[in-house]
Amino acid sequence: MEEWIGNRWHKFITRRADRGFPAAAVELEAEKKTIGVLFRALGGAPGVRIEAASAQEVFVRRSWLQRLAGSAQSAVIAWQDGDALRLPPLLQVFPQQSLNRDLYLWLAILAARSPQQYRNWALDNQRLVTEALTQFPALRPRYRRLVEALLPLRPAPESLPDDEAELERAIRRALLDPQTATDLPRANRAPQPVPLWLYPQAALDDPLAVAADIPEEGDCTAGSTQSLSERKRGERAEERERRDGLMLFRLENLFSWSEYVNLERSEDDTEDEDAAAAAEDMEKIVLSRQRNQRSSSIRLSLDLPSEAYDDLPLGDGIRLPEWDWHRRRLLEDHVCLQAYYPRNGDPAPLPQHLRRDAALLRSQFEQLRTQRCWLRSQLQGEEIDLKAWADFCASRLAGHAPEPGVYQSFRATHRDMATLLLADLSMSTDAALDEDNRVVDVVRDGLLLCAEALASVGDRFAIYGFSSVRRQQVRFTLFKNFAEPHGDPVRGRLLAMRPGFYTRMGAAIRQATLILRDQPQQKKLLLILSDGKPNDIDRYEGRYGIEDTREALSEARRAGLHPFCITIDRSAEEYLPYLFGQNGFTVLNHPAHLPLRLPELYHQLTH
Amino acid sequence: MSELYYQPQADEIELFQSAHLQQLPILIKGPTGCGKTRFVEYMARKLERPLYTVACHDDLTAADLVGRHLIGSTGTYWQDGPLTRAVREGAICYLDEVVEARKDTTVILHPLADDRRTLPLERTGEELQAAPGFTLVVSYNPGYQNLLKGLKPSTRQRFVCLNFGYPHREHEIDIVCREADVAPAVAARLVELGHALRRLEQHDLEEVASTRLLIHAGRMINSGVSPVRACGSCIVEPLSDDADVLQALMALVDLHFGET
Repeated sequence: MEEWIGNRWHKFITRRADRGFPAAAVELEAEKKTIGVLFRALGGAPGVRIEAASAQEVFVRRSWLQRLAGSAQSAVIAWQDGDALRLPPLLQVFPQQSLNRDLYLWLAILAARSPQQYRNWALDNQRLVTEALTQFPALRPRYRRLVEALLPLRPAPESLPDDEAELERAIRRALLDPQTATDLPRANRAPQPVPLWLYPQAALDDPLAVAADIPEEGDCTAGSTQSLSERKRGERAEERERRDGLMLFRLENLFSWSEYVNLERSEDDTEDEDAAAAAEDMEKIVLSRQRNQRSSSIRLSLDLPSEAYDDLPLGDGIRLPEWDWHRRRLLEDHVCLQAYYPRNGDPAPLPQHLRRDAALLRSQFEQLRTQRCWLRSQLQGEEIDLKAWADFCASRLAGHAPEPGVYQSFRATHRDMATLLLADLSMSTDAALDEDNRVVDVVRDGLLLCAEALASVGDRFAIYGFSSVRRQQVRFTLFKNFAEPHGDPVRGRLLAMRPGFYTRMGAAIRQATLILRDQPQQKKLLLILSDGKPNDIDRYEGRYGIEDTREALSEARRAGLHPFCITIDRSAEEYLPYLFGQNGFTVLNHPAHLPLRLPELYHQLTH
Repeated sequence: MSELYYQPQADEIELFQSAHLQQLPILIKGPTGCGKTRFVEYMARKLERPLYTVACHDDLTAADLVGRHLIGSTGTYWQDGPLTRAVREGAICYLDEVVEARKDTTVILHPLADDRRTLPLERTGEELQAAPGFTLVVSYNPGYQNLLKGLKPSTRQRFVCLNFGYPHREHEIDIVCREADVAPAVAARLVELGHALRRLEQHDLEEVASTRLLIHAGRMINSGVSPVRACGSCIVEPLSDDADVLQALMALVDLHFGET
């Protein structure tokens, strides 16, 4: 009961106190696409994500009601760093929805041209505004509308103490007339948030202090995935008791520091629900770098699963060579590849959430199958091929009479091609993409949809996955071979897909080449789905892995295959051109789009 | 012959002239709508050579290029194809999007594209020696990824390559201004929009706004269509079918051409 009353009171009092207009709220999620396109089109870096910012504590003056309610000491403001543009998850500044939407777009336009670091928050923002208004005259009336709507919502200068009133007047001047470049006087408190301006990353709580001290960019947030939808401000704390960490290095199954740093295991931490809820309410999450890594190192379990739990091995291992670039020669029988058959892969239908897309794809790809055309110069056919007839008559007159293929036939052309889809199932695919999906889920959905598409067009295809634990065990999982028709058993096996270990890509490509080489089709496509560089826990790392993969790929090309790589690794531009050639790969910027892009790419590549 | 408008991007005119003089074949690479075809037309007029243009496609056979026998009232007779005509007359033969053509058709180009400069006509048993002014020009769009299509290295290595991109800002403004007959301010705005759209390549859009699209929009504006509407139908709609992307691109158009 007490709690109930407390809640009602909280709701009542915050509703009264919040200056926003919830009825006119616009959500970031709904506008994200437009904001992103606008941001990038106007020169924002393509790698920068658009994210929801968390509420930020600002030392502003509050009305007594707000003080009572405990709200509005934190305000959601927009800011940007090298990784992301962080916008309020919800805008309800203005009473009209259109104005709130305009405000989002306005912030995106400002952000596209904003500097990484601010020298003077107010002056820099005014300069940005002036530049934007000069470049796009169409923005002027919109900006005017925003300012005119904003001013009545700000505290009246008369109601404030002298120094704050001065500050407020200066802000009003700066908003109304950005060309004059008004500098802001200092006051005891930070100014009321200015939703039309971007805030400097270095001093979100007190933007006026920005010039004084610019701390180095906190990098503790890089690479960590949080299931929270709002971005927290990361703050790095020094690890004091370094001795604690040493204990961990005594564990025998840890290999070395550098090896597990490379793997980015930090991503497979399971988030504790309570911790997530607690983090939701916090404004800053203080993480120590070392602690973060320690917890991830404990999660490294490199032991192979027990036999009863593991996938089913098929036959003895296959010996494959590996390229040693130091010695520039092929090490014969260096790698042992073991084929596996997924355990628990009972026949299953296509999952519900893919059915709509699958139906669409099937109808699209069936069109390809029924693409028919006239085959000329046939020995028999429905109609006379006049051109062939004329040629025949002419050559007979000239003295030589070749075989008279003078008919034409309307037939479906045979797509003479075999495709092997090879998915990287290393541990890194276990990383979370968003709330519901891991990378491996997206890969699985992509393969499921692609299989539907390929089956409906009638192309022959096989699906394999691979991962590795050193050269003694490259695990090559069979989902579908060329001989098996597509159906529920295949779908079931794909659904039982699990992420494995490391990425010894060269051996997997060699095995795929052997399989594909024996197919009778004329065109052979080797499609590799990857999420990172080749690597394993022995020396198969860095240059060694790259060189071996490159060698395996050139063997594949010599065998008449067309290798092509689809990756979600954004740094892939650094090494993939070397492996696959400039036109031999595609980087997907949005991994979540993989399921639909994969069949599309297949069509594009083979049509 | 009236002068055709062409705004050079760099030294491509000189390169083309030298290649023509040296009787070397030319390969033009570049994205769609950047002015490849216009350039070849311009050069043909400048060099005072007839031009035979063939748009290549999947079903283009060697006979479509070389020629075929036709049936007439008096029997069959041989009809030269565009390539054969160009070889006989010493004209420029331009094969647009040559990668679209079937592999076997590109092979007949081989003897024409090296120092032999001959075209064997299997059907009539002739072997034609190319007339002095004959120049073979082929073009393709390298941005289009397709494993099964693409020029073989043995074909590529016979050509002098010219790489085209979209023109520089000032040049492009001139071009739009002139081709669409719009005020320089409008042209500048269109080009600005084009550049904004080109930044979205690979990330949000597969293909970007070509100079040709900008000119089309300019022409529509010139004929009285409102700029926002013209950009919507000429630039935005052709680039995407995705409703979200369309909405976002329209916001961008609005930014450039909205009511002030």
